[in-house]
Amino acid sequence: MTAPQIFPDWHGQPLDGVIAACRQLLEDDTYPTVRRWREAGGTVAGHFQVYFPEEIAHAAGMLPFKVRGGPVDPTQADSRFGSYLCSIVKTSLELVLSRRIELELFVTHPICDAARNLAAVWGRNFPYPCQILYLPQNANSAHAAAYLRGEYDRLRRTVEDVSGRRVTDDALRASLTVFNANRSLLRELYALKRETPWLAAADETYALMAVGGLIPREEHNALLAAALPQLRARTTRRHDRVRVVFEGGFCEQPPLDLLRAIARSCYVVDDDLLIGLRWILEDVPTDGDPLGNLAEAYLERSSYSPVQHDLRKPKEDMLLARIRGADAQAAIVTAAKMCEPGLEEQVTYTHALEEHGVPFFVSEFEENMTSFETLEIQLETFVENLLFD
Amino acid sequence: MAYAAGVDVGSTQTKAVLVDERRRIVARSLTMTGANVIRAAGQAFQEALRGGDLREEEVEYVVGTGYGRYKVTFGNTQVTEISCHGRGAVHMFPATRTVVDMGGQDTKAIRVSAGGEIVDFCMNDKCAAGTGRFLGAASSALEIPLDELGPTALRGERPVKISTTCTVFAESEVLSWLGKGKKIEDILLGVHQSIAGRSTGLLRRVGLEEEITFTGGVARNVAMIETLQESLGLRVNVSDDSHYMGALGAALFALDHILAARHPTTRQAS
Amino acid sequence: MPTTVDGSIVGRGNADGARLFREWFAGLTAAAEAGRGSAYVFVMGSLAELLRTFDFPIVFPEINSLQTAVRRVAHEYLNQAEDHGYSPDICGYVKADVATQLRGGELPMGRIPKPSIAVHTNACNTYVKWAEIWERMYKVPVVTIDVPGTRAAGTQTWPGHPDFENDRQYVLAQLRELIPTLERVSGVPFDIDRLREAMGHANTMNVMWRRVLELNAARPSVFNALSDGTIYLGVANGFRGAPEGARYFTELVEEMEYKSAHGIGTLTDERYRLLFIGVPCYPIFRRFTEMFTELGGTFVGSTYLRFASGGANLGFTYDLDRPLESLAEGLLLGVRDAMDNMFFQTDILIRMLDDLAADGLVYHPIKSCRTVSTGLADSRRALLAARDVPSLFIESDMMDRRVVSEAQLKNRIDAFFEGLASRRAQAALHTG
Repeated sequence: MTAPQIFPDWHGQPLDGVIAACRQLLEDDTYPTVRRWREAGGTVAGHFQVYFPEEIAHAAGMLPFKVRGGPVDPTQADSRFGSYLCSIVKTSLELVLSRRIELELFVTHPICDAARNLAAVWGRNFPYPCQILYLPQNANSAHAAAYLRGEYDRLRRTVEDVSGRRVTDDALRASLTVFNANRSLLRELYALKRETPWLAAADETYALMAVGGLIPREEHNALLAAALPQLRARTTRRHDRVRVVFEGGFCEQPPLDLLRAIARSCYVVDDDLLIGLRWILEDVPTDGDPLGNLAEAYLERSSYSPVQHDLRKPKEDMLLARIRGADAQAAIVTAAKMCEPGLEEQVTYTHALEEHGVPFFVSEFEENMTSFETLEIQLETFVENLLFD
Repeated sequence: MAYAAGVDVGSTQTKAVLVDERRRIVARSLTMTGANVIRAAGQAFQEALRGGDLREEEVEYVVGTGYGRYKVTFGNTQVTEISCHGRGAVHMFPATRTVVDMGGQDTKAIRVSAGGEIVDFCMNDKCAAGTGRFLGAASSALEIPLDELGPTALRGERPVKISTTCTVFAESEVLSWLGKGKKIEDILLGVHQSIAGRSTGLLRRVGLEEEITFTGGVARNVAMIETLQESLGLRVNVSDDSHYMGALGAALFALDHILAARHPTTRQAS
Repeated sequence: MPTTVDGSIVGRGNADGARLFREWFAGLTAAAEAGRGSAYVFVMGSLAELLRTFDFPIVFPEINSLQTAVRRVAHEYLNQAEDHGYSPDICGYVKADVATQLRGGELPMGRIPKPSIAVHTNACNTYVKWAEIWERMYKVPVVTIDVPGTRAAGTQTWPGHPDFENDRQYVLAQLRELIPTLERVSGVPFDIDRLREAMGHANTMNVMWRRVLELNAARPSVFNALSDGTIYLGVANGFRGAPEGARYFTELVEEMEYKSAHGIGTLTDERYRLLFIGVPCYPIFRRFTEMFTELGGTFVGSTYLRFASGGANLGFTYDLDRPLESLAEGLLLGVRDAMDNMFFQTDILIRMLDDLAADGLVYHPIKSCRTVSTGLADSRRALLAARDVPSLFIESDMMDRRVVSEAQLKNRIDAFFEGLASRRAQAALHTG
């Protein structure tokens, strides 16, 4: 099926124009790309953080839309939830309650207790299937991959019901190819961040990556393929900035302006921002059983986050490895306000970083915060300390 | 003619209302609560008696309400201010189905049935950000008297967006807007909009149903009325006696007791 | 109706429950002093039946933490954990336990031994992060038994359905993988007959617990689901799979049947029968219940007694001929039901309202528990749309005294009872 071009805004633009178009799309709370997709007769599968096997929805011709909050005021959603809750669950519901986006399917995951409640809350409010995809939390069971393959099969059946299309193994293989390409391009983008961070600021690379959750992956591939060589060709001067790893962006996202503020004094050489889009680290094999391969990749060839439990990947060790791998001098260890797993992991991270003598800066953020003065001052002080050490 | 009294002991102010058996208000009084709550309740009651030219013995039943309701020692019983504001609002505006009460310390959203019973309620009393207290903080930060806040805010044309969620930090945000050259009217309008927004959130939690009646001391603030209506997209009823709504409701409950004693099968009407 | 009341039976459950709790703690203290290890588990899916067969002393950190709140010392523990770096915004149970560990296991009730292993399900995601803390503190094995729950409202599947079987095979495989770990850590070889025995006791407890909950349909009700219920729940968890537990619940049924037959209730004047939804307010535990009983309100049922017993309310009976397979099935159904009581509770609550003839509901979301509280406001909205029943929504915490305001709670509780009274008066006018 040839998908209609739903994000043509960047075509023919110079690099800065491409980045601006991406940024504009991310900040547009009317979600024009989803609208255009629907106007062309397409269906949308909304999936919550952190990781979702988008290939399964894509193989049915649906647009996988990453539900991850947004720049909206949760005026209607607020009354559905209690207090002591992260903003992302509220703004996510608001997007649909306020009809900014419409879906045919919503899937959440058992990443945390707030997210698990979403299947129930959404299910009570919308007529289409709103369900939990039970990704395994015992990655160390020898049976986990077989279980997950069965769970993916269940998801496949739901997607087939909702889309009215059969998800054949061949369709899955074709989707795997598209998403493998996407992940490969994102790896290239992150290699550029690591090796030549002065060529692209943190908020720029973020914008280029994040639009992937809102547009067809084929278009995202085209965008990245066009942008990467242009990024490499930039002649930006290298500045004397501290190389940092940003940790804490695995679910609720920090505002772009916050990343920009950080980029003023640091080079963010690696991070976990929207890690779900980059969860699988290598190409998923397309031969054999595609669903089984996808399930195995989730467990065996994947990154890490505070909300995936795997005894082989103790988070603090993984963070230290990330810092070493990116040749970073320090870590910015953040958590979204009220994010329980994030806040708990912060304690483990900071203890380990201290033990290993890695300087770190701890902070909290909220997706729709508008003033960062206090945070910037503290961060600048931290950076000054590092530079003058 | 029988008389009933309601005494609403709030954290900052104590109000008393006397009604006659035809449910007409014959006197009202307002006094500062201060540190001696029992004395304040007594004072408010005595002042109301003087205002209505009545003797204490003529008042057959007294109901205490408000946070200090158990300190109305001369009272016959206590009723929560939630029930009282609901009752008072329905008496003033019989088509009331939702009440928003903004006092000095908290904001309440109350849904009432056609018969005046409380169906549901939701309060914001853990944080001052959606309450009259926020106005007090703005008043002191900007050095403008409380009763001038409303008219000043109404002159605002480009309201600022108050983003902090805590009243303490909001003070410094107000001052920082001033420092950035924003006009006082615009800042104040922003403050009112922020309070209206939070109150709207409370009302949504409880379920908005028309007609909506706005009660409490803050209901006398013209800018608050306007920003609230804008935020809700609906008209709100406001009575000149909005400040006395709790005491009025309490007096009406007191009257129920008097009438019930006379005619045990008398139905409770508003 | 008999004219004499058997004094030895009424109140026996509360007295025996308190005694059993003391004995349990005495055993834990002895284990701690002797430097023995223990198994740390949680109430939703504790697998105590299995762990007992390896002679592990069983520690329930959730119960320890709530006890610090009931005994009014929680704030010390919470402050200590916060000084150690834990956020004020996370689960109070976790923080109280961190402080307990930092104090070498010292609690007001006694001392608890360190873990030599932790086994938990993912019925609550906080369990996962909590166990990671012990993993780092003590370098001990931590095993997650992943139990998939209901995917969407009304989509529960049952044995025989391919999706159920996919889940069951996973749980069974994990249990089989767990056993060698348990053998290694305990030094005790696995004895399937001992497991059968423990599962037999659990069977008795499940069936009896279900019966106890049903008996509260009596008028007047025979126990207060909030105050008395928490004692019974403690035994249901702490003695799961133990002979003492089986005996306790058999006797509890006897007591409740006796009370029911003799019209012995909990209040002098039971005026309103209420359902409690959420976790109790432990920091002011006794006073909280009093604020209701003072006004003639008693709790006839609670979702807490269902989910915090790991779904024991289902009365599931293990098939002792296939112990491991049946343990997997029971775990899957029980833990799933516990989660349903928190997330997909509308139908469950409607049945409870009818079965227990309740007059109203009290929702008590607690700030630091997102599992229970996230969707409660929306769940309530859905219930009220389905059924016109009075309800109260009051928020506090199960551990943190700082966010519990007795005056505010009383204000709202009083208003709720005013509403109940006026509603009843209106109904009487229309019918009388």
